[in-house]
Amino acid sequence: MPDLDRRDFLKLVGLGAGTATAAGCSDPIEKLVPYVVQPEEITPGIATVYASTCRECEAACGLHVSTREGRPIKLEGNPEHPINRGRLCARGQVGIGRTYHPDRYEGPRADGQATTWDDAEARLLAAVQANPGGTWVLGASRGPTIDGIIDAVVAGGGLGGRVVYQPFDGSALRAATEAVFGVAATPQFDLSGADLVLDFDSGFLDTGLSPVENAAQFAAARDIARHPDGGARLVTIGPRLTMTGSNAESWIPAAAGSEGALALALARAVASKRGVVDAALDAAIAKAPALSAAATAADVDLASLEQLVDAIAHAHAVVALPPNPAAAGTNAVAANAAVLLLNAVAGSVGSGVKIPRGPDPRAAAPYAEVQALVDAMNAGQVSVLIVHDANPQYSLPSASGFSAALEKVGLVASLASLVDETSVEAALVLPDHTPLESWGDAEPRAGVRSLVQPTIRPLHDTRAIGDVFLVLGRGLGVSVPSGTTRDIVAANWGGGASFRAALVRGGSFSESSAGHASVETGAAGAIGAASQFSGSGDYTLIAYPHSYLGDGSGAALPWMQEIPDPVTKLSWRSWAEISKTTAERLGVKFGDVVRIDTGNGAIEAPVYPRGGIRDDAVAVAIGQGHTVGHYASMAGDGSPGVARGANVAALLPAATDEGGGRAWLATRASLTKSGAFQRVALSQWFDNQRGRGLARQVSLLALAGGHDDDHEGPHVIEQPFERANDAAPGDPYRWGLTIDNDRCTGCSACIAACYVENNVPIVGETNAIKHREMNWIRIERYIGDGDTEGGEERRPHPDREVLGGEVDVRFAAMLCQHCGSAPCESVCPVIATYHTPDGLNAMIYNRCVGTRYCANNCVYKVRRFNYFDYGYDNWPGLLSLMLNPDVTVRGQGVMEKCSFCVQRIQLARQPAKDEGRDIRDGEIVTACQQSCPTDAITFGNTRDAKAAVNTRVDERRSYYSLHMLNTRPGITYLAQVKRVSEESHS
Amino acid sequence: MNQTTRRYCAVVLAACAVGAAAVLIPSLGDAAGGGHAEEPQATRGPTLVAASVCEAQRLKARKADDSRLSIEIPKEFDKPWPSLSACESHDAAWDEDADGPMQPIPFSHAHHAGEFEIDCQYCHSATDRSRAAGMPSVEVCMGCHQMFPAEYDELEGIRILKQYWAEKQPIAWQQIHRLPEHVKFRHNRHIQAGVDCQQCHGPVEEIDKMHMVPDTKWWFYGLPTAKLEMGWCIECHRDNNQQATQDCVTCHH
Repeated sequence: MPDLDRRDFLKLVGLGAGTATAAGCSDPIEKLVPYVVQPEEITPGIATVYASTCRECEAACGLHVSTREGRPIKLEGNPEHPINRGRLCARGQVGIGRTYHPDRYEGPRADGQATTWDDAEARLLAAVQANPGGTWVLGASRGPTIDGIIDAVVAGGGLGGRVVYQPFDGSALRAATEAVFGVAATPQFDLSGADLVLDFDSGFLDTGLSPVENAAQFAAARDIARHPDGGARLVTIGPRLTMTGSNAESWIPAAAGSEGALALALARAVASKRGVVDAALDAAIAKAPALSAAATAADVDLASLEQLVDAIAHAHAVVALPPNPAAAGTNAVAANAAVLLLNAVAGSVGSGVKIPRGPDPRAAAPYAEVQALVDAMNAGQVSVLIVHDANPQYSLPSASGFSAALEKVGLVASLASLVDETSVEAALVLPDHTPLESWGDAEPRAGVRSLVQPTIRPLHDTRAIGDVFLVLGRGLGVSVPSGTTRDIVAANWGGGASFRAALVRGGSFSESSAGHASVETGAAGAIGAASQFSGSGDYTLIAYPHSYLGDGSGAALPWMQEIPDPVTKLSWRSWAEISKTTAERLGVKFGDVVRIDTGNGAIEAPVYPRGGIRDDAVAVAIGQGHTVGHYASMAGDGSPGVARGANVAALLPAATDEGGGRAWLATRASLTKSGAFQRVALSQWFDNQRGRGLARQVSLLALAGGHDDDHEGPHVIEQPFERANDAAPGDPYRWGLTIDNDRCTGCSACIAACYVENNVPIVGETNAIKHREMNWIRIERYIGDGDTEGGEERRPHPDREVLGGEVDVRFAAMLCQHCGSAPCESVCPVIATYHTPDGLNAMIYNRCVGTRYCANNCVYKVRRFNYFDYGYDNWPGLLSLMLNPDVTVRGQGVMEKCSFCVQRIQLARQPAKDEGRDIRDGEIVTACQQSCPTDAITFGNTRDAKAAVNTRVDERRSYYSLHMLNTRPGITYLAQVKRVSEESHS
Repeated sequence: MNQTTRRYCAVVLAACAVGAAAVLIPSLGDAAGGGHAEEPQATRGPTLVAASVCEAQRLKARKADDSRLSIEIPKEFDKPWPSLSACESHDAAWDEDADGPMQPIPFSHAHHAGEFEIDCQYCHSATDRSRAAGMPSVEVCMGCHQMFPAEYDELEGIRILKQYWAEKQPIAWQQIHRLPEHVKFRHNRHIQAGVDCQQCHGPVEEIDKMHMVPDTKWWFYGLPTAKLEMGWCIECHRDNNQQATQDCVTCHH
């Protein structure tokens, strides 16, 4: 710029600014689009709730779908539903995102091109008609009605057959129940009356048969108010400390695959102590190894087993939970049978373990049948493969040969609603509705029938799977019922009034007839050899189900990627868990990449060295490693086709157990250091709470008023102030929260609920690595009280876990404490955060100028800053339709944090004001409280002495987090109860 | 765009306009020398023939004012409906020069709420129980309008309405009273407290073409706050100190 002097430059700048301002001077006019005919039940601005059923896992929890102007915006548990009783897990909470997901197919596709439904269905019909016998249907069970339609079409049309495929087929447990009790069914486990729970790597609190139900029962069995002796003790047995195991009193770190032998040896030892009169049972456990042999086989301390035998023999109600499908090896039926026999010896069959009267209605086929289909595909015998509700290309072990076999199939038709690895290979895509758009039902167990009803008109040109099969059936000349899937669902539910009643209630619930069963005489036949491992490596490969990703279907949902794993606190990626000893041996530290090779394949993953895993094992979570999808793969980050993390199925052999079920635990792996380093999103760097008392513990003895090692005299935690005081003098309310750490299992349902309720954005891996995660509530996981010495190193080292013995894991939910004397309030230069008259620490987004002083001054580190315009970028496409209209979407440069669900407080004020009364206790339920399966969170008015938030405060174990800093928090924590003590071992 | 920016915009534009006017006005003086055409006086002159019912109604009204006027109403246009006021409101609601955006239908609040005294909540029916006042569905409009004689179809607005109804299409109205998304206003609270609709929406029953009626309040230090700005809300909340809250989080959450 040769001739431009300062004066001219400024003029030009001024002109530019003026022009820009003038150009921005027209307001965008928004449209108001009312209904043509307004449905009677809909009032704009007021939520309409429908009952439905969650389809994120097999448990089939009841839902209340909250809709606003026809859009579902929040899922909550159905309080009437006998499975979940109003609660919902993290996976269920975010299932709402499937409907608005950017990965959805917007219409039928043929050969990669959009087409019409008529064309797509005609193509399918023509291909099926050409060779009905060569047509196979592969997919998960979809509940009685839709299964009935599919089965009718398959049978009537003379199709080759249908294989009900689920990656975790559960066939081993069914086969074991058949062998032991004579019924091919999945038993129900009821922990509510237990006083000793044995977890044989079952994952019953996160990935088990019915996590929400079992978690609630577990919490009830340990309720310190009802059980002054501490209630149920939990012993976890398995090669790594899982989320479920983290809640245990003690851990027996048995080698992977040895649980069966251990259970059988325990059964025999207990039987010899107690004496068993049942001849069949006696015969079944006669072959059991001696306790010492089992201890050697499982590579555990004999003394700990002997102690456990004593505990079982002295307990009144023992429930032993069998290994989850992914923890089952080639002897899975025997292992499951052994655990069932242990229950029989302990006398809990009929109470803690209920055996259904009849077999499971439409159980998943054992893996051997899937492999037979793959072999038939390879042999060119399959001309049409219809895949629905399954992603076999991703979830089958690569050793099964499915990828190659798929290419030999004449026509692959996928009924997926979201794009997945299988549907991209399919020539024909006939997209299904999402669960929130479809009709259907589920029968998780006899007597509990749950209805799935649509809560939104289908967003895209999709068609219900039932309707696709009905059209196919009619084309083939099969006599299928007339009408659509909806008509058939209505007919199956009795039509008319009974259907309408079921729609209102969410189903029909009568207590199941499951109960006692006696051990079959041939039960001993189920007991067999030890688990077999292929491969030659030094480490057993443990492919375990990720708490949120399930069999991989959860990976598409960004919340499930972003919420940190409850145990490792890692997100967005795969990692390899190895022991600290193994890490030393390999010369790797946290984040160093290792190559895991099994002979079937190899993957690379950064390591997470921990004390909570055996030295002879390497563990990789199932669920990552997708190559397609907006969030599941790296495609969303601009690199299409690149997998996010690694798919552990690539490592697995096509092994089966004795009954043909899939054996996930069947290979050894070798580990080599790759030399690379991978930065991973780790949200909690340390598991050392440094004696700050963030997650406290109280011994049973101290609770009872006695002396213990840590405390002298009756235990009282200092009560430095009264939290009810911290609000305006005349105000009837001071809102507060009481969090019972003794009930918290770390499951993170509260986090997921908060994300959905409060429009909390997802930041993605790059920002999560930089600790820019936005979660308003997090669960911290600490080991013990911590050390104040050492640990100066500034690198992540969550390394305080120890192998086996007493488990001292502390979970503590951390969220804004709504301090009475809040450090954040005093430093805000614009008063964007201030104290409300009812004691909330309010955050006014439109006042915030983004200095971040408040976050820096917050001692709890719960304030979150919008570094980017997440509000506009992070709900791409239709995802913005699920935003809660009662909560402002925060813009760039604005601080945000837990608001105690202030929108729900404001909502509860409406009827109270209309009726001229105060808000009643229980009228406000925060999102986290609503979802909590164990009822650990209570919200309420601390100025109301009778409110649950006050009555639940147990003076002996209540404390405030970091109260020594005089923050006067509004959240009272109740310390975890230490149920392990010298006395309790006796 | 927020209100502050808009006010700033207005100042900038006004300044520009003053400058431009200073330059242009001298030259305008020459151009504007022609003067106005005289308004034609109503005289005995030629007989005025109505070409539609509305025109007939207007001629009748002029005749009533001025008996010397010679008018002719053909038989087919000599009907009671649409009434004169309906015709007038219809046209006024679509007057391009009037304030407010053009709506898809020339709906007149003055005609419905003013002349016929239809209660606001008959159409905006959720006002007393929901945060949203609610916009009437096409069904609500048709609930009355399909009872009316077919002659009303002469009005284009009625024909458009009936077309929406026949095609089962929703009407996309232009929003006039809009609050930013970080404001969680509740209609029901204000209705329960006895606040008149007019207090915020202006004399709706007198307005044909709906627009925002300015109601600038002068706040501290002579600061103006325009209607629907926060200071304007707060002014009223302050005046009703016992009843209305001034807690930020009531509206901002």
